[in-house]
Amino acid sequence: MPKLNTVFKGKFALITKLILLSGLSAILVLLIESAFAKKEYAIALFLAFSLIALCYTYLSARTVPMKFFLPGLLLLFAFVIAPIVYTVVMSNFNYKTGNIISKQEAITQIEGLGVEPDANGTTFDIVVGKTSTGEYAILASDTPNHVYFLSTATKKTDLLPSQVRLNADGVATAAPNFTQIPEVQLAGNEDYSKINYAYANKYFISVQGINVGAVFRQTLRYIPTNDAFQNVLNGKMYRDNRRGNYANVNDSADILQPGWRAPNWFSNYKILFTDPSVRGPLFRVFIWTVAFAFLTVLTSFAFGLLLALTLNKPIRGRRFYRSILVLPYAIPSVMSILIWGGMFDTEFGAINHLLGTHIAWFQNASFARLAVILVNLWLAFPYFYLISAGALQAIPSELLEAAAIDGANPRQIFKKITLPLLMQILTPLLIASFAFNFNNFNLIYLLTGGGPKDLLGGQIAGATDILISYTYQIAFGSNTQDLGLASSISVIIFFIVAGISLYGLRKSKVLETFG
Amino acid sequence: MNRRILGMLGLVTSAALATSIAIVPGAQAAGTIVVWADETRGPNLQSVMNTKSDWVPGYTIKIVTYSSFDALKAAFDKASGTTGPDIVVAANDWVPTAAKSGKLAPVTLTGSQKAQFNPTQFFDLSYAGKLYGVPVDINNVAMIYNTNLVKSAPKKFGDMVDFYKANKSADGLKAGLCIAGGGMSWGAHSVFSALGADAYYMAGGRPNYHKFFDPKVFANNVKTYLLDGKKSNGFFPATDTGCKDNFLAGTVPYAVIGNWEWKDYVAKGFTMNLMPVPGVNGGYGHMFGSVSGALLTSFAATHGVATGAKSLLTNFFASTAGQVAYQKFEGRPPAAKGAQADPSVSDGQKGFGSAASLAGIPQIGAFLNNNAGGASYWDSAPAYWTAVLVNGKDPLVEAKKLAAMWKKNMLTGKADL
Repeated sequence: MPKLNTVFKGKFALITKLILLSGLSAILVLLIESAFAKKEYAIALFLAFSLIALCYTYLSARTVPMKFFLPGLLLLFAFVIAPIVYTVVMSNFNYKTGNIISKQEAITQIEGLGVEPDANGTTFDIVVGKTSTGEYAILASDTPNHVYFLSTATKKTDLLPSQVRLNADGVATAAPNFTQIPEVQLAGNEDYSKINYAYANKYFISVQGINVGAVFRQTLRYIPTNDAFQNVLNGKMYRDNRRGNYANVNDSADILQPGWRAPNWFSNYKILFTDPSVRGPLFRVFIWTVAFAFLTVLTSFAFGLLLALTLNKPIRGRRFYRSILVLPYAIPSVMSILIWGGMFDTEFGAINHLLGTHIAWFQNASFARLAVILVNLWLAFPYFYLISAGALQAIPSELLEAAAIDGANPRQIFKKITLPLLMQILTPLLIASFAFNFNNFNLIYLLTGGGPKDLLGGQIAGATDILISYTYQIAFGSNTQDLGLASSISVIIFFIVAGISLYGLRKSKVLETFG
Repeated sequence: MNRRILGMLGLVTSAALATSIAIVPGAQAAGTIVVWADETRGPNLQSVMNTKSDWVPGYTIKIVTYSSFDALKAAFDKASGTTGPDIVVAANDWVPTAAKSGKLAPVTLTGSQKAQFNPTQFFDLSYAGKLYGVPVDINNVAMIYNTNLVKSAPKKFGDMVDFYKANKSADGLKAGLCIAGGGMSWGAHSVFSALGADAYYMAGGRPNYHKFFDPKVFANNVKTYLLDGKKSNGFFPATDTGCKDNFLAGTVPYAVIGNWEWKDYVAKGFTMNLMPVPGVNGGYGHMFGSVSGALLTSFAATHGVATGAKSLLTNFFASTAGQVAYQKFEGRPPAAKGAQADPSVSDGQKGFGSAASLAGIPQIGAFLNNNAGGASYWDSAPAYWTAVLVNGKDPLVEAKKLAAMWKKNMLTGKADL
């Protein structure tokens, strides 16, 4: 069979490269267009940079190492570095329910909401058209009272019933100085609906559907020069409070909604450490997170190692046992967790049925924690069994034999030789596992949802909540979302896990030395 | 760069541009109203649109279906002006937070359009005095009893407890009454209410801000009917896990079920034996009757189809013709009065409607979502069952906490109505 580099060379290789690069570039140009269309300029810029970098790297002979590194570097930036940076930035923002959109969007929304209907909630059947001067107009009908009028942005003209032509529903469709725009043509351009049509005094008619107009008056007016809103009915002024809302200058609690995302430099971090309602639960959750990760690694490793040691001996049916021990690893963890959740149910679960008990596994804090550890043991022990079995094979048998000849009993051999050597090999993996379980969101979310929590006793965090599930609760778990606060906890988790990982990497050097 | 590289770069760029210009990214076409819905409503809406699509002349209606209700919620939480829908078919409890965050736009209905609905249905879809959508269908629960076990409908709450205690061993009952639909807060409100604890009370179609439940009365009823000393008597489980399966298997005689899963019970041979949960002194426990809404988003204005979207809400989602056409596929009780009276409405839809008419109260998100008291109704209600039925805490002490929470939530939430 010919080698790959003998086939892919010369013009054939060049043409193949050009075709692949053209295809990739086409996709990237498409994505850039799409990003621009959605006003995602940062993404468009990154994609444009990627396009240039890819073309330069793969068309130039000067950058051979980059041909291997560039895809990884671009993906690393897109999916690791950028989200971290975004999270850090958002942790310094007032970014929560009520403060989601941009300031410009908020101003538009407040203006739109700053209207009130007249006392009767008056509505009219309307027909949209244009006057002879080309101005948008509505022909309005109060069908029960046979009242008709023509209204433009500046003028309302009352019409007699004799001046209008009515359709079968009694709605005026034609009048002097008015040409109806066919309804099907209105779909292409809704500019007509942005006009406040003249009605009476300060009231105007707003289009509330192709055939419906309703009477409103403006209550809030935006003053761009002052960047403020004024309530035109009572004169109250609302100014930017620098925390993402327009607030009444005389009553800071009186704010206009919606607000917008606004920087609140380090306030979220300050809340984490100074607000007792956040700090207390956070500290308890942190302690449990460490305990959970540690106990999971300890129990799973101990059980996996025990099995590996047992099956390291030539016992009958060893292959069969080895195969079935890996089964929990082969089943998707989501399924396993949900099945275990059902089995732990108080009333109908198999566990209580088998034990003949009535334990409320997920309603009692201690039992819920025990259940979490047990289920994670089930999920994790095959991994530890596999790595322990592999590591046992790597221990030179001469060492064990020499120790036996010197009179060491099996317990002494395990304690003085096997375990220290195993720990030297497996410590980086145990540390990595600890870091993984520190963020083991799936297990907690699917099994206990972080509960139980004594809400009636004022608890905010659940007994089995770990930092990441607690963060999720804050960010998405309730009707009120606080993404800024959740981001600040995420940043702290990032530093903790990064620290653990760095420690693990240092330990890996020990592994290299050992090898 | 030498000429060869420049030549190749030119070639690659030309090919890329030619391809990408040929495939222009899909922007929302002018006059297209985009409706987001979940995995059941989406296909059903599409089926309606396949048979009739000119609900708003000149506009094209595009239905986008999400794989689950949670996926729809997650997508809407992340939606922005460029990516969001014009209308979203959603749960009523989305309204307060989405409106507060500026994702929804207000809707104005004419008098005749409003008259199509029970006025209390608008509570669910309102925030700070403005209406953000139209009611589409009714979600409610009712209690079903297994006629193979129970021969007649219970008249009082105690009748069910007595039956359970008398037949527990003989029939191998695992519980007496459980919550199969709606969870331990929404679904279980009828049990709270039957025992004397309503989340809030209504008077003349309006919330009564002067009446709150009496924790002593409620705690006494809990002691009498749900406890043996400090422990649960097994009649009412504190969780909903396994309830439906066990009811269908005949090991639970009474269950509170949701109208959206009625067909599962019909498939197992159950007939129309629905009723509200009976109260301790007769009467019934109140159950929430909520509506799903078609909500107008603020993105519709960004897309230039706000007027068309408003017309779609009134011409289709809120109209008798639209609801009848839609519920033929969806099979839930329609919200519009005209549609409810239509002969095509099924017995199941009518059965739940009848239970709702006996004991339904409007679900007011402004009170139930509010957590000024320390926790919302949704979180505090299941916490009570756990505290008393599982952890053996004093029912009166916990009931007092619950009463204080619900009272504060209601009085604070008043401002959001």
